[in-house]
Amino acid sequence: MGRYFRELSVAAALVLLLAVLAGIAPAFFELQPLLSRLTAQTPALVVAVGMALVIICRQIDISVGSQFGVCAVVAGLLAAAGLPLPVVLLASVAAGAAMGALNGWLVAGLGLPSIVVTLATMVTWQEALRLFQQGKFINLPAGLQWFGLAQQRGQLTLIAAAVALLAVAAWVLKNLAAGRHVYAVGTDAEAARLAGINPRGTTLGVFILLGALVGLAAVMNIVQSPQVDPKAGGGLELKTIAAAVVGGVAVNGGRGNLWGVFVGLLLLATINPALTYLHVEAYWEKAIQGLVILLAVVADGIRSRRGVTK
Amino acid sequence: MSKPAPFFKTLLACPEAVLFFVLVAELVFFSAVGRNFNTADNFANIVRHSAEIGLLALVMMPIILTGGIDLSVGSLLGLCAVLFGVFTHEWHIATPLAAALTLVVGAAAGGLNGGLITGLRLPPLIVTLGTFSLFRGLAEAITKGTMTYKDFSPEFLALGRARALGLPYQGWLFITVGIAIGVLVHRTTLGRSFRAIGFSPEGARYAGLPVQRRIALTYVLAGFVAALAALVFTARLRQARADAGSGYELQAITAVVLGGTSIFGGIGTVGGTVLGVACVAVLTTGLKLIPAIALQGIGSELGSLLTGALLIFALASGVLAKSLAARRARRQALSEPQPQPIP
Repeated sequence: MGRYFRELSVAAALVLLLAVLAGIAPAFFELQPLLSRLTAQTPALVVAVGMALVIICRQIDISVGSQFGVCAVVAGLLAAAGLPLPVVLLASVAAGAAMGALNGWLVAGLGLPSIVVTLATMVTWQEALRLFQQGKFINLPAGLQWFGLAQQRGQLTLIAAAVALLAVAAWVLKNLAAGRHVYAVGTDAEAARLAGINPRGTTLGVFILLGALVGLAAVMNIVQSPQVDPKAGGGLELKTIAAAVVGGVAVNGGRGNLWGVFVGLLLLATINPALTYLHVEAYWEKAIQGLVILLAVVADGIRSRRGVTK
Repeated sequence: MSKPAPFFKTLLACPEAVLFFVLVAELVFFSAVGRNFNTADNFANIVRHSAEIGLLALVMMPIILTGGIDLSVGSLLGLCAVLFGVFTHEWHIATPLAAALTLVVGAAAGGLNGGLITGLRLPPLIVTLGTFSLFRGLAEAITKGTMTYKDFSPEFLALGRARALGLPYQGWLFITVGIAIGVLVHRTTLGRSFRAIGFSPEGARYAGLPVQRRIALTYVLAGFVAALAALVFTARLRQARADAGSGYELQAITAVVLGGTSIFGGIGTVGGTVLGVACVAVLTTGLKLIPAIALQGIGSELGSLLTGALLIFALASGVLAKSLAARRARRQALSEPQPQPIP
């Protein structure tokens, strides 16, 4: 109980919010809209898993939104050219991994701070994409949406895939050496090195993995609609970082749990539809998101200070 | 090394000098290629369009010098612009008083950043990422995402249009703030403590400096000047909107890092930051004047793309140069006879 207090308190907040919604707006729980809302969050969940790993490793990546846009356009153009879905997926994941590798090389290889590196790559990819695509949408072939399945089965497939990926990642992070290395490097890179772990390799690895997951998420996003929006990734970095921080991943690295991130994302994703159902104007979304991030870090800060004085 | 270092090598070690040559090269290039680049009107235009980012860069510099960062200045600019509109249009406060009130709000918002960072020892990155979203969100909530405030008093709009001695008003403002920050950082004990804190926070604390209070001060200063930039922005565009200043934080950080301030803190000059601002400003405006680029209407994208690439290049080259120098020094130390220890 004590160990997972942070995650459980977020879960309690989510349950409370859902209970309020159940009382005031039962329409929120109708199956098909609920399923659609959950499906819309699956790409963010996949990216949030990678983001959590990067933050646990004491780094950050704010270029994921731009990477997402580039991967979506790469996947969209290949799909529009008639290539089969597995090839499209592979190309998108490879493109993401390559962009992640550049971030990772600059951060782990050259020792530059990840915030500035990813700030620079964020703008570079975003503007390169705007130059290349000029904001034009890409029309996708007919059979691609929902993998050619019926809408509901397609949605269930995406949700199942995202949750399965989350479960595998959470298990690996907890039980395999590679997962424990991420925590070790995030806690104290020098101590990890003395213990025989390669901190640079681990850091490079989490950045590449995040990029690959962004590529996967981009494909999970384009199969949901008949068109590719090159600006679809806007704000993704803030959303996934917020999900990780709210879900109990410590921004100083070394602490965090992927199931907590899952709950954090669900909480954040519920706020916006909840605002609509509770008749609060949707313009407050960004302000409330910022407030939730600040609340989460302040709570962590107070807890850790108390821990120090004890 | 007994040989004196060659002239250009010492020069290359100084980022300000490199930047100065980059700036001269940009000026020569755009004068040759750009249409109407080399005119007084165009220079006034460059100053007008880069004063806000320049102001933000000037106050970002002390923050980065202490080893911090502030991602919220662009959002705060938007919030302050909207609040100024609310003060003048909805509360009907006289313009000078409304401007003063906006500056107070800006300083208070900076105080929120500084208080959270120093009071609870939270990482500046995450705190200002939170306020980045909070400030912009408040601006959007106040204007309901669409409302714009127009019709400001002509005396106020002169701040964005008029010139004195050939230089636009905001140019004079930039010079004034630049000199003030320069004196603060380089000539006062208060400002020199920023460098000490960035160089080694623990060492600064043992030297008796009130480290947390000094760090908080840099964020309050940033909030105040972000509000000032909001006024300039509103006067230039003749309207206050919630999306004012989006992305400005990045351009400000780029200018500071290009200007030779170490992102790890402890190293940097205000003069370098001014050069960094000038380099980015001339690059982004100059590109729009090249006929082939202007024809396609891709000037602003290309400008931002090159700014981002320039930032990566500046960061990487700084680190690579340092590690190459260290490797050479190690090789030299091995091949040359060791100096005799002084008895």
